[in-house]
Amino acid sequence: MSVKVEVIEGGVPHNTILAAGLVASLVCIYLSYASTFLGAPWMAFFGGLAAVAALVWGSHTIKHLCSYGIGTGVPSAGMMAFGSGVIAMLFATKFGIMAPIVAVVLAAVIGAILGFVANNILNMRIPVMIMSLVEMAIIGALVLMGFSAQIAGTFELMGLLSGSISILGLSLPSYQVSLIGGCLIATAFMLGGIAIQHPFNACLGPSWTQDRMLYLAAECGFLSMIPVAVMSMAIIPMGPALLSLIVALIGWYYTYAKYIELSKRDAYDWLDSKPIPELEGH
Amino acid sequence: MSALGAKPAAAGGMDPMASAIGVVILLVVIAATYMLAGTGMALMALIGVIVGGVLVGFGVHFVPVGGAPAAMGQAPGIATGVAMLAAGAGLAGLFGGAWAAGQGLVIAVITGGIGGGLMMAITCMFVNFIYVFGMGIPSASGKVAKDPITGDTQAEFKSQGTEGHGLPFISYVGGVIGGTLGGAGGTLIYIMLLDIYQAELPAMMDALPAQILPIAVSLAGIFAIGMFLVNAVLAAYNITGTIEGPHDPKFKRFPRAIVASAVASAVCGMVAIMIVAI
Repeated sequence: MSVKVEVIEGGVPHNTILAAGLVASLVCIYLSYASTFLGAPWMAFFGGLAAVAALVWGSHTIKHLCSYGIGTGVPSAGMMAFGSGVIAMLFATKFGIMAPIVAVVLAAVIGAILGFVANNILNMRIPVMIMSLVEMAIIGALVLMGFSAQIAGTFELMGLLSGSISILGLSLPSYQVSLIGGCLIATAFMLGGIAIQHPFNACLGPSWTQDRMLYLAAECGFLSMIPVAVMSMAIIPMGPALLSLIVALIGWYYTYAKYIELSKRDAYDWLDSKPIPELEGH
Repeated sequence: MSALGAKPAAAGGMDPMASAIGVVILLVVIAATYMLAGTGMALMALIGVIVGGVLVGFGVHFVPVGGAPAAMGQAPGIATGVAMLAAGAGLAGLFGGAWAAGQGLVIAVITGGIGGGLMMAITCMFVNFIYVFGMGIPSASGKVAKDPITGDTQAEFKSQGTEGHGLPFISYVGGVIGGTLGGAGGTLIYIMLLDIYQAELPAMMDALPAQILPIAVSLAGIFAIGMFLVNAVLAAYNITGTIEGPHDPKFKRFPRAIVASAVASAVCGMVAIMIVAI
């Protein structure tokens, strides 16, 4: 096969993935807001789906950026995305129902400034640098907002800062049992960071295929959604948290099976071997 | 065939026009913070965050980052990327500094520096153990003929076809200095944000300062981690991935990293401060 790494041959164009990822992520975050009308946060799992949609878009953006050879390794792009995204996302949560929109706009501004700094002050001179860092910051903000909505059942600052703890049947307000007070956001940060940097790092090379990488991105997203669902048990009622866990497990199993299938399709040959050979063959 | 291994053609010099625009952005952000927040405390916090960010960006230039070539023993340095090393050293320093946060600014920042430096010293030592006793290669720099500190000659230890290997003394010293600067910078960002959150959050949340403490610590911590990673990755872009230490010619690129880190920290710091100030 002689597919060039730096050229995306065939497959879905990047702009389509960008638009689909952005719209799907925003719609899913707003669907999670619907739990406000349901009494219990039954729609919280849509936050995780928003994160998965943004992660799929993010893995393709990383491919777009890193095919220019930034020289620092693929993980650095993921760290940059979440470092700038978490700042935009936390500030945006102050704006109530407008939070996802504000997060996108603010992340775009921060990403544009960082892109300018990297491209012009640091003399990187990579054509897609500014646009990619804008996208990365938006993705970081949306993934964190999605995971926050899944853990806390809301994306408003007060909901993220304060929770309630029940002692002997009495419900008392508590700041420690909350997304930010318990610093669950740091765990969500790393879960998202690992999920965004892994797909392209694992799939890059001459036999890179778009659909395989995107399925791996979705698989990583659902895999991160599983511990996020477990963490959400501490904050939202058990029913919605279990629903998130089931959705995450189903999504993970489907994408994992699909990824293995595509890997076998792209491989020259494959052999089912045992993980550890029982005898050393010399 | 692949552009993945290729290094971008980053010239050593600074772009005066872009740097001027960067400084203008920096000044606008500082002025905007003062106008919007209207308190000297917010301004002080922003200055502290900028200084911390610059320390992180400068510190990364000292750390011997080898990347994949170092893992194969073909280039000196620690065999991983800047983002991982800087995050390790910076977060170790941040945790150290956070323990001492109650002891005042100076002690906390020094403790953070020691934490980061210690982490890098231990990393460098075990990296050299593995290079020397595991892979069987001596430490030799490819960029200088003599070690600037010990004066040891390098050429006779260097294998043909490599850029040097292992972790020479100067790289080790650079790693410890870099870890110290990074840890101190990360802690300074954390302490500055923690102070302003502790002062402003009780009024904003209508709660007692003791109740607010976990939120203030967590918010300051996550913002400090975010800013630390942004600065570390920008510095990594500046050195295009790998560097041997302070004796490497790439080290001379640090002035533009200082401008870049100052601008990036100012923008991120302003947003982080505005979460409580408006």
